[in-house]
Amino acid sequence: MTNNLPAHAVERLKGLRSSVHSSGVFTSDFSVNEFLLVRKAGFEPIGLCVGTCVYHCGIQYANWRKSEEMTVLSKAMYHARELAMTRMRAEATAMGADGIVGVKLTIKRVEWDQNLLEFIALGTGVVHGEGHQGFRAHDGGPFTSDLSGQDFWTLLHAGYRPVEMVMGSCVYHVAHRGFMASMSTVGQNVELENFTSAMYEAREIAIERMQQEAAAAKAEGVVGVDMHEGNHGWQTHVIEFFAIGTAVLPIDQEIAPEKIQDPALVLSVNN
Amino acid sequence: MGLLDWLRNAAVGPPPALSPQEQEAALRRQADIMVSLRAGQVPSVVRERLEASRQGRLPWIATLTPAELLLARSHGIRPIGAVSATCWMHYGWSWTLGHSQGWEAALQRLRAEAVAAGANAVLDVKMRSIALGVENSMDFSLVGTAVRIDGLPPSPEPVIATVPALEFVKLIDADVVPTGIAIGAHYDWLNDWRGSTDLRWMGNIESGALTRHWEAVRRQAHARLRQSAQGQGNGVLAHVNFSQMFEFGERENQPRRYLARHIVVATVVDARRGVPVPHDIQMVVDLRDGISPLLNTTKHHQAYQQNDEDGPI
Repeated sequence: MTNNLPAHAVERLKGLRSSVHSSGVFTSDFSVNEFLLVRKAGFEPIGLCVGTCVYHCGIQYANWRKSEEMTVLSKAMYHARELAMTRMRAEATAMGADGIVGVKLTIKRVEWDQNLLEFIALGTGVVHGEGHQGFRAHDGGPFTSDLSGQDFWTLLHAGYRPVEMVMGSCVYHVAHRGFMASMSTVGQNVELENFTSAMYEAREIAIERMQQEAAAAKAEGVVGVDMHEGNHGWQTHVIEFFAIGTAVLPIDQEIAPEKIQDPALVLSVNN
Repeated sequence: MGLLDWLRNAAVGPPPALSPQEQEAALRRQADIMVSLRAGQVPSVVRERLEASRQGRLPWIATLTPAELLLARSHGIRPIGAVSATCWMHYGWSWTLGHSQGWEAALQRLRAEAVAAGANAVLDVKMRSIALGVENSMDFSLVGTAVRIDGLPPSPEPVIATVPALEFVKLIDADVVPTGIAIGAHYDWLNDWRGSTDLRWMGNIESGALTRHWEAVRRQAHARLRQSAQGQGNGVLAHVNFSQMFEFGERENQPRRYLARHIVVATVVDARRGVPVPHDIQMVVDLRDGISPLLNTTKHHQAYQQNDEDGPI
């Protein structure tokens, strides 16, 4: 039965050490499935890349009655993320990676200072198994992508390659309603139009910024976009709209749609 | 003893006391466990149980699900018995390094049990700990299933796979062997003599001192991870990336201090570069609503979800 196991694996299970690996040890935060799929896609992980930035956000007081962007905070969020991402990318460049897969961007607040935020960018640097250079970003550096190993494989099979992780951020203050305005709607169902339009504007600004980044990276489109609202310990009525996604380009030339393999439909009965 | 127990005891009388022989046997067993562990050996009770399982005198025990058993059998993998190891560590001078010491000690003991069981590998190894918070200490426990591969002699150094049987087989098929656990842990203090972390009156600015401190700690933890993996394989799949930073205010003759710590826990793999993954991948779309059972995998590391209370360092 064991003859269907690969010889090298059998050696190891017998307790025999394989010869010393010349390539050294790679580190990654892949799951087993991601690891297999990234290799199936023709890439090899080489090392974890981390970028850190502890940032002190300036203070800005919003105009109580006005919906407006909090430019100081917007800039802070942008700048700090940029620093963390750049450092992660620099680590990847230093280890000679062609790209970074599965980037996780996290923001942590610290207990002792409400103006301090910690930004961490963490991903796994990969190289193309056959040394293909065509997967690098437009500036010749490593590509970045927040797609998981599974999505990475699927994207390549859809005929696209990741170029750069792009994001847009807008910290926005939604105006408070005046006393008279609140009184006039007591007991009525009305849309709070100024709130609605404030949300629209803020979201629009964030998306626009992300799109500009994608254009600057000479990408064709952005996949896996996630848009969320967050408040990182600011006053109420202050919201950060954040859009993030992976800018993509066709591999060499776009695959004709009919050549892309159709996924089979299944209905699992495991449960 | 709770009130209920007391009432019950009052009604039926206390539980029958152990006979002197039984008491003595229990004491002897405890002493044997302690002496064996101190000598780096498998306790004789465990050794006897594993040997009996290995020879088929006792039924085998496996933590595998029926589906995993099916796949294991189709690849010539036979379960022998459940193996486990514990190291209850008290953090004397370092919480952070205590973690890597604790896991490494447990790993060694698990390996010894696997050797005693005549195994080629231990699958489905789960890292466990109970959040008891007893005197700055924590238990580091590993539980898994020792298996042998049909037609292979017992290994002097069984591989420890912290992945379920399903993933073990998937990896072996792709010529990747999960071999053990690697820990990268590091902590460091930052003494802020010059007040460079005080940014109270500043606008948007990076806290360079803290960033550099963090970076140094993380890099060191990752470097240790590589080191710890080196003896076992040529790569790691990290499951846990755990970091914390604390501030300690100024005190007499002492500046403001910061403590940063970072722990990475990973499965070590031995993979040859450039070996193609043999299986074709078929894309499917599950027609189920909600969470697809095809995606259902169990969490294998829960030690850090429960256990992030503070300790000294």
